[in-house]
Amino acid sequence: MGRYVARRLIQAIPLLLGISVVSFAILRAVPGGPLSAYEGNPYVTDADLARLEQAFGLDQPLHLQYLSWLGRFVTGDWGYSLVSHQPVLALIGERLPNTLYLMGSVFVVTVVLSLPIGVLTATRQYSVFDHVVTGTTFAFLSTPTFWLGLLLIIVFGLQLRLFPLGGIATPGTPFDLADRVRHLVLPVTTIALVQLGSHVRYLRSSMLETLGQEYLRTAHAKGLADRVVVARHALKNAALPYVTVVALDIPELFVGALVTEQIFGWPGMGRLFWDSATRSDYPVLMGILAVSSALIVLANLAADVFYGYLDPRIRYS
Amino acid sequence: MAGPRRAAVLALAAALLIGACAPAPGTPGAAVGGGPVRGGTVIFALWQEPTTLAPLYINQTVGTVVGNVVNEGLIRTDADGSYVPQLAKTLPTLENGGVKLSSDGKKMSVTYELLPGLKWSDGQPVTSADVKFTWETWMRDPKVVNRAGFMDIEAIDTPNETTAVVNYRTIYAAYALNFQSVLPRHVLENEADISKSSYNRMPIGTGPFKITDFRSGNSITAERNENYRVKDKPYLDRVIFKSVPDSKVAIAQLKAGEVQGMWNLLESETRDVENEASIKVFADPGPSVERIELNTARNQDQTDPNSVHPVLGDVAVRRALLHATPIPQIIDKILFNKVRPASSPVSQGWASPKDVKQEGYDPNKANDELEGAGWRKGADGVRAKNGVRAALTITTTTGNQARERIEQVLIDAYKAVGIDLRIQNQPSSVLLSGSWASGDPRKRGSFDLVMYASSPGIDPHTVVSQRYHSKNVPSVANGGVGQNYTRFKDAEADKAIDEAGATLDQQKRKDAYARALARLNDAVAIIWMYERADIDAHLADLFGWKNNPWQEVTSNIEDWYLKK
Repeated sequence: MGRYVARRLIQAIPLLLGISVVSFAILRAVPGGPLSAYEGNPYVTDADLARLEQAFGLDQPLHLQYLSWLGRFVTGDWGYSLVSHQPVLALIGERLPNTLYLMGSVFVVTVVLSLPIGVLTATRQYSVFDHVVTGTTFAFLSTPTFWLGLLLIIVFGLQLRLFPLGGIATPGTPFDLADRVRHLVLPVTTIALVQLGSHVRYLRSSMLETLGQEYLRTAHAKGLADRVVVARHALKNAALPYVTVVALDIPELFVGALVTEQIFGWPGMGRLFWDSATRSDYPVLMGILAVSSALIVLANLAADVFYGYLDPRIRYS
Repeated sequence: MAGPRRAAVLALAAALLIGACAPAPGTPGAAVGGGPVRGGTVIFALWQEPTTLAPLYINQTVGTVVGNVVNEGLIRTDADGSYVPQLAKTLPTLENGGVKLSSDGKKMSVTYELLPGLKWSDGQPVTSADVKFTWETWMRDPKVVNRAGFMDIEAIDTPNETTAVVNYRTIYAAYALNFQSVLPRHVLENEADISKSSYNRMPIGTGPFKITDFRSGNSITAERNENYRVKDKPYLDRVIFKSVPDSKVAIAQLKAGEVQGMWNLLESETRDVENEASIKVFADPGPSVERIELNTARNQDQTDPNSVHPVLGDVAVRRALLHATPIPQIIDKILFNKVRPASSPVSQGWASPKDVKQEGYDPNKANDELEGAGWRKGADGVRAKNGVRAALTITTTTGNQARERIEQVLIDAYKAVGIDLRIQNQPSSVLLSGSWASGDPRKRGSFDLVMYASSPGIDPHTVVSQRYHSKNVPSVANGGVGQNYTRFKDAEADKAIDEAGATLDQQKRKDAYARALARLNDAVAIIWMYERADIDAHLADLFGWKNNPWQEVTSNIEDWYLKK
């Protein structure tokens, strides 16, 4: 097992390098660039632009820029934002807790709700409950988050005045748990409703498949209670594809929800990425992309390892 | 319902009356029921985020909106466009001896006397050494946005703590705008790289507030500066700039009372808030003018500046387009009468040429003009001359609703006079990049009509010369330098612009710009659409706001106060 994990980690290195080359190339292919913000300023001369280009190291050949970024990145120097001049690591460090807080809450809510709902819809297939849940989850699954988020803001924020319209806390007030939770409700609901759909669908279909298996009939025949059959024998096997879905959510804990954070003015990673993208702030974008690609690779590995725990038949070599 | 609004009108009248006896412009004077009140917190919504508050790196309007509460300069610009001292005692001029010309008349020196007893927000004294340090830093730091003015300084002498003599190596007419901020030497002199220091987010300044908290993407908190030079000001204890994702959200938060003020509404958004009794909307013409520029050279990439556009090269067609553009309807229907029609690029300030006019909407004249010039309607309703169809494209920034609606109006209006118009929009990062290398179609000459907005600044020389002098037509030959995008070439205009740049006499400069801009309008190289409005909004219990087209809304934040 240890060797398997080590091999997978070593294999990940060329993959991550490749991803970083491709990300770098794509970022540079986008028209505009970080200096275009200066070019709109009538007082900025061509000499100023040339000076800034040099100061930011953008006058170097692209491959040298990439290599110098990579060289510094692996030694822990992630560079400075071209726009705010802040260290990239500090910018990420400032936003990461907010995103973990938002996406962690979403994660807990979706897992806690999707497990019982998914199992119940499968064990009571074609019941009224199943139809209602299936219909609703399909509806939310196909709802774009930006629309749902705005709808929730309009109804619960603007009209009913139940929740604030955005932000992470009321500015200028000391820490207050109730205030924090009030700010959390709408964005978490927005993301959770959409994610819940996919999680419930996955769990329901794999449970249905498992429930039809012969060994479950054997379990029933042994006289085991329904609850035990479902929880111990069916769910553990049916959970395999569900684990993949959940594990692949882990990178999102870090990356954040781009659209939802934007709509709700959440000071998280998603907005940092969005703002940096609109300003072509290469060092920040590269930092976020590098971390998120590493997390996706790790999450896949984690899912594979967890499979082995859930299903001892799977052997790693 | 009408309570707060009527009260505000009364307050204004009262302020005017009092202002007549007490010469205290800028102070809100007697407002509702007995003058300003001290204390309170104002939350102000920004739908863009300042990336830095260090004046030498600020390149966003919103950076200035927040920076204003901390950073101050020697001279500032008043609402009417005149220069008034801020940290200096008086505005140095030729008349009061503050500005001296060298004996050969080719150089000048400007002497600033600082106000006595000035302190930075950390309590340290402000001295002439700070003024000198400001210039030195601007010239040394490779990351400053631009060096306009500072480049022309030869040396700064500091004969004593409060006197700074700025020696220019040329005649620099816009000297008053040179020191729009002063940097604290004692804080920054030991920083190897200021861009990496905490000064970026927590600048030390002389303004009414100091920044105490900066949470990116979240909020910026400014607390009262106890060392502020004006006694009993600011009135507010605290201002919190809250980051919101866009202007629609800011409007919603203003309506819900979550924020007390917001920055920068679009003209089309004002209808949304105007009818709310709890909200006051300030719409004032800003210096930025929306225009349609007409390419007089051939529409092709890296165009030859001496080529002639087959359609727009004919002044009759350009004049017809002007007459066919229904500006009054556009202002009424799309911009809800929140803007004024424009007639030149310098719409405000001392240099604004009030006598330079532009002819109005008259589709019959447009038809006559085209007929007279030999452009005949074909079977498809589109005019043609010598086999050239009057088919043009219009380019503007993608995603701007008002501009896209105006384009639709123009297509119909031009069709009515026999000109075919097609839309060819581009993202603003390309269209307005201003860069030859990035392929800005205006620079490269690859457009027919281009619609966008631009502001001349309070001293219009740079912009007028860059944009309307024939030497500034970007081309392959000059490496794409200059912003004369219409390829307008006129010897009279060139002469007038050169004259304006060679004198310090404001009246002479103003007359010369007027001559140049009149020539520009005669040639109809540009259709002036309207003066973009600066629109901000706040709750009715917040007082003391004053609009100033040359400065951001927070420029008089020390005068703001809350009253229930």
